[in-house]
Amino acid sequence: MVGPPERRLLEPWQDPKAQPYLRIERVTKKYGDVYAVDDVSLAIFQGEFFSLLGSSGCGKTTLLRMLAGLEQPSAGRIYIDGADVTDIPPYRRPVNMMFQSYALFPHMSVERNVEFGLRQERLPRAERSERVAEMLDLLKIAELRKRRPHQISGGQRQRVALARALVKHPKLLLLDEPLGALDKKLRENTQFELVNLQERLGITFVTVTHDQEEAMTMSTRIAVMDAGQIVQVDTPTGIYEYPNSRLVAEFIGSINLFDGKVVDRVGDEVLIEGAIGRPMRMRCLQPLALGTPVAVGVRPEKLRPCERYTDDGVNQVRGTVEDIAYLGDVSIYHVRIADGPMVEMTLANIQPRTEQALTWGQEVAMEWSPTSGVVLTD
Amino acid sequence: MASSRIQQRPPEASGRPSRAARLSHWLNVGVPYFWLLVFFLLPFVIVLQISLAEPMLGQPPYTALWEWAGDAMVQVRLNLANYLLVLEDDLYLAAFLNSLWIALVCTLLCLLIGYPMAYAIATAPERWRMPLLMLIVLPFWTSFLIRVYAWIGILKPNGLLNNYLMALGLIDEPLVILHTQLAIYIGIVYSYLPFMILPLYANLARMDHTLLEAAADLGCRPAQAFLRVTLPLSMPGIIAGSMLVFIPAVGEFVIPDLLGGPQSLMVGRMLWTEFFNNKDWPLASALAIVLLLLLVIPFVAMQRWQQRIEGQRT
Repeated sequence: MVGPPERRLLEPWQDPKAQPYLRIERVTKKYGDVYAVDDVSLAIFQGEFFSLLGSSGCGKTTLLRMLAGLEQPSAGRIYIDGADVTDIPPYRRPVNMMFQSYALFPHMSVERNVEFGLRQERLPRAERSERVAEMLDLLKIAELRKRRPHQISGGQRQRVALARALVKHPKLLLLDEPLGALDKKLRENTQFELVNLQERLGITFVTVTHDQEEAMTMSTRIAVMDAGQIVQVDTPTGIYEYPNSRLVAEFIGSINLFDGKVVDRVGDEVLIEGAIGRPMRMRCLQPLALGTPVAVGVRPEKLRPCERYTDDGVNQVRGTVEDIAYLGDVSIYHVRIADGPMVEMTLANIQPRTEQALTWGQEVAMEWSPTSGVVLTD
Repeated sequence: MASSRIQQRPPEASGRPSRAARLSHWLNVGVPYFWLLVFFLLPFVIVLQISLAEPMLGQPPYTALWEWAGDAMVQVRLNLANYLLVLEDDLYLAAFLNSLWIALVCTLLCLLIGYPMAYAIATAPERWRMPLLMLIVLPFWTSFLIRVYAWIGILKPNGLLNNYLMALGLIDEPLVILHTQLAIYIGIVYSYLPFMILPLYANLARMDHTLLEAAADLGCRPAQAFLRVTLPLSMPGIIAGSMLVFIPAVGEFVIPDLLGGPQSLMVGRMLWTEFFNNKDWPLASALAIVLLLLLVIPFVAMQRWQQRIEGQRT
């Protein structure tokens, strides 16, 4: 095995001189009085696997359709590889899309479906069939060549849709919920395949998904969208570990939020007092005035049972175990804090469950370190 | 089949359907068959039998196919002269060809006019579709015969159309349209257009719009997307609509009789003449049988084709 691919180490978005490959500039889409996409700007770099993540109705699909040219922005411009494509119709954009429903042509064989876009380019027959065969091989669907879409499985249809879009060698491949219609096991395998495929072909992918796990495993960067706007753009790690708002923190994974107020600052750490009755000390680089209302966000797996629960200990909470969800690899404990919120703690099941000490109704004290959480201001 | 495991059948008691269930099953299957037997097969056999008889004066005006010849003998006389006449006489042949030609042209015209209409309705905003469909169906609320008579009023030399055109100064003399082949075309296309539009609409309305988006995404201009996606996928609708127009148009009698005038040569009128004017029931019956065969053969062929196309789709 080689190490992680080079792409993962290069982060063009960190380089101020890097030219974005796809530039979305203040794009807005209005339907009547409703803003589906509201003043969105994004810079996506060549070779990225970029995900638009959000719940349904957040505008992610509308944004993707504007990239394909299937919707016209009400305002703003879109540039691909330096060229303004805002007014270019879909059939002349160097962009291809994989539709959520796959939109395979039911009256054509798999082979004809994949060939469809090449015929449109008026390529000579030999070159067409060569490229089709190559793509069918790449996606391991060569033996389905003569079948029709209704004669193959959902997973196979997804591959045909992918082949049909990729065979055109687009500058940008758009994927609308690419794995949405597959069952869980198939989805997990396909995630890795998609990433491998993308790395091999070097085509820039922009995908839309509502599944955070899918976005986390596949993307170089994720844009979290809500109500037509982009809330945060960052790497999967950045989004998970350092969400910039309650909204992102709660949308991605689970998180415990403890409300409080900033009471002191020592070096790059702030002291916060609030809901849990004892002080919290968190690393926080952003300047916060004393008295600012904040929330301390701690992921369930960052909590651990503490040995010494003292009256003046910082970053500690205590409560009784109310619920245990045993997931095999980990267990999730719901701990009720005395007249406080419910706290979620995830522990790896290092020992078999029967050997574990922590059980229902038991009192447990938990703590976290100042660097394993975030301070959220909104 | 040497299975070592002993399999026991469940007790028969619940396995047999009850009397009521069996009765309802027979009614379900039986009623349509009974209907077809009484109103299609029986009349067909009667017409077939008459077509093999000889005309004669009397009631009924044809000979019986069999008679007792004594000594337990049944004498059967099958007269094939009617069929020979129908197949040999240029007049009948011309009538058949003319009918097929007129029906074909009218079907194509209905398709050319009806397809854009069906497409427009199917792609219209949701709230407009029902009213637009109502407009297509509305003429059915008036009797077919009355609507054809109305065309006489429109097309005749001193009719609506001619008066209008002359008032505009576009023509000096009335156009002769009534009692020409053109009037038959107008009448048939007008009358059968809804039968083309409705199946086409049904087909186009359930077309998946994302297929056209996919075609655009893959480089098709709207016109190309229509030719490569919409048109092939609407083939079942085209075939259904064409059969609904073509088949009744071939045997059409009222329109050529009223609009086409005495010279119009169509099988429907020929049949009428033989039956009522010449009182030659056997010849008329032979004409009807030949017409039926002429229609059934292409019908079956088209249905096979349609099944093949449907089989290719989900």
